[in-house]
Amino acid sequence: MKCPKNKHLIGSIIALVLILIVSLLFMDRMIENSRMETDLDEYMPYDHPAFVFSDQAEEIFNINDGILIAVENKEGIYNPSTLKKIKDLTRQLQKMDEINKDDVTSLYTAENIVGTEGSLDVKDFYNKIPQTEEELKQLQSAVRSNEMVFKRIVSENEQIALIVAEIDDDVFTIEFYHAILDLTKSYEGPEKLHVAGVPIVEGTLAYLAPKDMMIMVPIVIAVIILVLYFVMRSVRNTIFTLLVVLFSTIWAFGLMAVIGIPIYSVSTMIPVMLIAIGVADGIHLYSHLDLYLFEHPDAKKLDAVKDMIKGMWKPIVMTSVTTAVGFISLLTSEVYPIKYFGLFTAFGVLMAMVFSLVLIPASIIVFGLPRRKVHQEKSKEESGKFSYKFAEGAVKFKALVISVTVIIIVISVIGINEVWINSSFLDKFEKDSDIVLTDAFINQHFGGTNTLNVILESDDQDKFKEPEVQRLIDKMQADVESIDVVGNSFSLADYIKRMNKVMNADNEAYNTIPESQNLIAQYLLLYEMSGDPDNLWKVVDYDYKLANVNVQLKSDNSKEVNRAIEILDKYKADFEKYNVNINYAGSGYKALVFTDLILEGQITSLLLSLLLIIILLSVMFRKISIGFIGSIPIVITAVISFGLMGIFNIALSTTTALISSIAVGIGIDYAVHFIERYKIYALESGNKELTIKETMHHSGRAISFNAVVVIAGFLVLLFSVFPPNRSLGALVSLNMFTSFIGTVTIMFLVLYKSNMYFKKKRNSNENK
Amino acid sequence: MKLTKIIMTLLVFAIGITIHAQENLTGQKIIENVYYRETGEDATSELTMTLINSRGDERVREIKQYSKDFGKEEKSIMFFQAPADVRNTSFMNWSYDEEGKDDDQWIYLPALKKVKRISSDSKSDYFMGSDFTYDDLGDRHPSEDTHKLLREEKLNGEDCYVVESIPKEENYMYSKTVVWVSKDKWIGLKKEFYDEDGDHLKNLTVEKYDKIDGFWTILHSVMHNIQKDHRTIMNLKDVKLNTGIDDNMFTERMMKRGI
Repeated sequence: MKCPKNKHLIGSIIALVLILIVSLLFMDRMIENSRMETDLDEYMPYDHPAFVFSDQAEEIFNINDGILIAVENKEGIYNPSTLKKIKDLTRQLQKMDEINKDDVTSLYTAENIVGTEGSLDVKDFYNKIPQTEEELKQLQSAVRSNEMVFKRIVSENEQIALIVAEIDDDVFTIEFYHAILDLTKSYEGPEKLHVAGVPIVEGTLAYLAPKDMMIMVPIVIAVIILVLYFVMRSVRNTIFTLLVVLFSTIWAFGLMAVIGIPIYSVSTMIPVMLIAIGVADGIHLYSHLDLYLFEHPDAKKLDAVKDMIKGMWKPIVMTSVTTAVGFISLLTSEVYPIKYFGLFTAFGVLMAMVFSLVLIPASIIVFGLPRRKVHQEKSKEESGKFSYKFAEGAVKFKALVISVTVIIIVISVIGINEVWINSSFLDKFEKDSDIVLTDAFINQHFGGTNTLNVILESDDQDKFKEPEVQRLIDKMQADVESIDVVGNSFSLADYIKRMNKVMNADNEAYNTIPESQNLIAQYLLLYEMSGDPDNLWKVVDYDYKLANVNVQLKSDNSKEVNRAIEILDKYKADFEKYNVNINYAGSGYKALVFTDLILEGQITSLLLSLLLIIILLSVMFRKISIGFIGSIPIVITAVISFGLMGIFNIALSTTTALISSIAVGIGIDYAVHFIERYKIYALESGNKELTIKETMHHSGRAISFNAVVVIAGFLVLLFSVFPPNRSLGALVSLNMFTSFIGTVTIMFLVLYKSNMYFKKKRNSNENK
Repeated sequence: MKLTKIIMTLLVFAIGITIHAQENLTGQKIIENVYYRETGEDATSELTMTLINSRGDERVREIKQYSKDFGKEEKSIMFFQAPADVRNTSFMNWSYDEEGKDDDQWIYLPALKKVKRISSDSKSDYFMGSDFTYDDLGDRHPSEDTHKLLREEKLNGEDCYVVESIPKEENYMYSKTVVWVSKDKWIGLKKEFYDEDGDHLKNLTVEKYDKIDGFWTILHSVMHNIQKDHRTIMNLKDVKLNTGIDDNMFTERMMKRGI
């Protein structure tokens, strides 16, 4: 008698110690090797044609995102002190290691193309600080009369001057971000300084998001522990359920560290998935154990464990394998961080399966059965009653349940058409946050904080000296500037027009593209002789075969950017007549393409995983119809999740798009446990009424526990100060809720109506 | 014996004088020697200017140029031959010895059929989009900098003085330049330019020079902007000196008429 018992005990201890040791080893690797990947460019699929093109154009034209520093003086900027600040700040920025000297634009560095009859010159607006009233007036009128500068780096009310520092993608660090903020702060007073621009928005995001998560995650976990304890009523059960999640997360991240894969921002979704899914295994095991002990109050722990494993290993393996396959379908994504996300979440899910099947039984053998509290029996009775009533109610009001489901689905499907993904970084912040207000402030006074680069391309040398082509560019610019999201635009055409005007005695009638191609060529030569030709190479290439039109946007919201692109696209046919192609470049455009890729990939992999799951379920239950029934919670969860976002005009983002994967993981979990239990009771009893009641009591209860625990945990995120974390919380909770409701109502009814596992007996039952 | 002694003494004396003379040769004097080196009264040549950017894209301009020293002023005129769309564009420059007096510059654009004045307020402007400024092309007066002889060394087998020049003017585009001057020819063979912040900006190297009509003339030089990795190659062909160019060559009428 003692021998096998000891054997089990020793085996269990060894298993526990082994898991602990390997986890510690992984933990060590994690601390040693893990690194966060914050450079967003690392996420992009390099070989995608749109990215290849954009990267090339960015290199040719030196296209970079700019940090915008606005120097505001309510008394006006034309005074020695403010002008000195502009100069000093410009020089300071130029001296920073992260910034190239030539990439800082301000009134101090800008060139002034001027002319009167018989003379043309390109000069500085100022070098020595103008001191006298007369000098200041002169500067003021020089700026006012130069449309290449006025309203672009000096605001129309002459109270704000802009300093733009363009930086390469790879130089941005949190330290640099703080250095910029500290530098500008030191210039405050009486002038007000405002810092904005894409790098600053991204930087603030990279700084705020982890900071907020550091505060929120412990609270989320605390709430989950609390609720878990509330439903399990056992400290030990709670601890071991959580250990399953903890170890599987450590193993997933540890493996990433060992292989040398960095932690991407989407990787932070791995623990989210593992919490939602991993908790379920423990809950189902303990729930089964509870019911067993309730029916066999005097059972020995070995028998209880044996029954638990016998009853539960199959559904746990089935749910874990199908969930893992669902996540592996993310390998179809073109985006590497998402591939890794799928792969390592799948690994984590399988590990959670192993741990729950080893850790939980072993813990019972080592530490004994959970202590049962007397008052629990009563509550179990009640919950049983509730489960029975719920099952009966669902059947009784099946018409209502089905019609409500149909209505919700129809509405959701309509909503899905409206789903859009927003690549905006700014929309991730509170509407009244400093960064949004600064951005709005600069957009109100200047062309726009974001840039879309329109790249025009031809095979013919000197194509962009042709007057017809320049005129078309000019027309396109005027057209795109007419929508309110576009502040202004800038191209070679602006240089040519300015030169033409200046060479014709500043006559406004000559602010046009001249007729003759030779004249354009000669103007450009003249400009090269007087100005800094480097400025030209930002809008055209050496051979005049490539041109870059900068379109300044007041928003980085995908819908707004797409509105501008829609107008620009209309010129495709016109440019084609001149053998010129239109393409787009720049970080904003890349983000747009990137998010579209993610959404597309997400939908593809969702459909693929659905297909795989249907096949897997059909094989596992040896019935094709089960494959379809089992996929009902997934479909309902995904459809409602996307549908609601469409209806309420909530845009998807890179990370929230991944939440639909949770629909797969959770949906399949609930469905399999429920169906498996239904099958067991059906085959055992042959009584349909009893089967639905017992299934609801056994599986339905565990499912509801699982849902309540995770929903409670993630609802905490609604109190986050960071909007993306709030939508994460809301979406995870919503998906858990719809999965749960979908399983115990509509899937349950379909299963009931299908007469699955009763078919052979139905005739005899009914004929009776 | 006596003669030998005398010769020896004279030789030693001569060497002593030479050494003495070299010790006296200051950076200031070396730069003046370069600036005032005889170059002929007038010059005619065909200039091929090749501009190469960091990606290796090239642009080539062919220019026919004439220049003449009028004593207190130097006049030059250039006619563009290629590329075709700027053919017959001409450019005239009058520069003055008088300190502080800016150059006068005119341009004729054939497409406009008008001569336009370009006012140049700075000699730090780049010459036709090249990596040369007007100052780099030899216009900068020695009195504008403080010169210091750093050392003497061989460059490509030639004995050179290495002279550092620091501008007197504040806010000048260069914080300093260092030039290698050939000891026997008084031409600069290599020059390093440092920007306002003291960072190395450009390198000028003379690849080819020759004695033409009795004057040392630079024929092929390369200016490399290290910060932008941009290069300008200046190549002179058909150089003729002291041919007696007519004074009327340097007029607006000639700019319009072309050659």
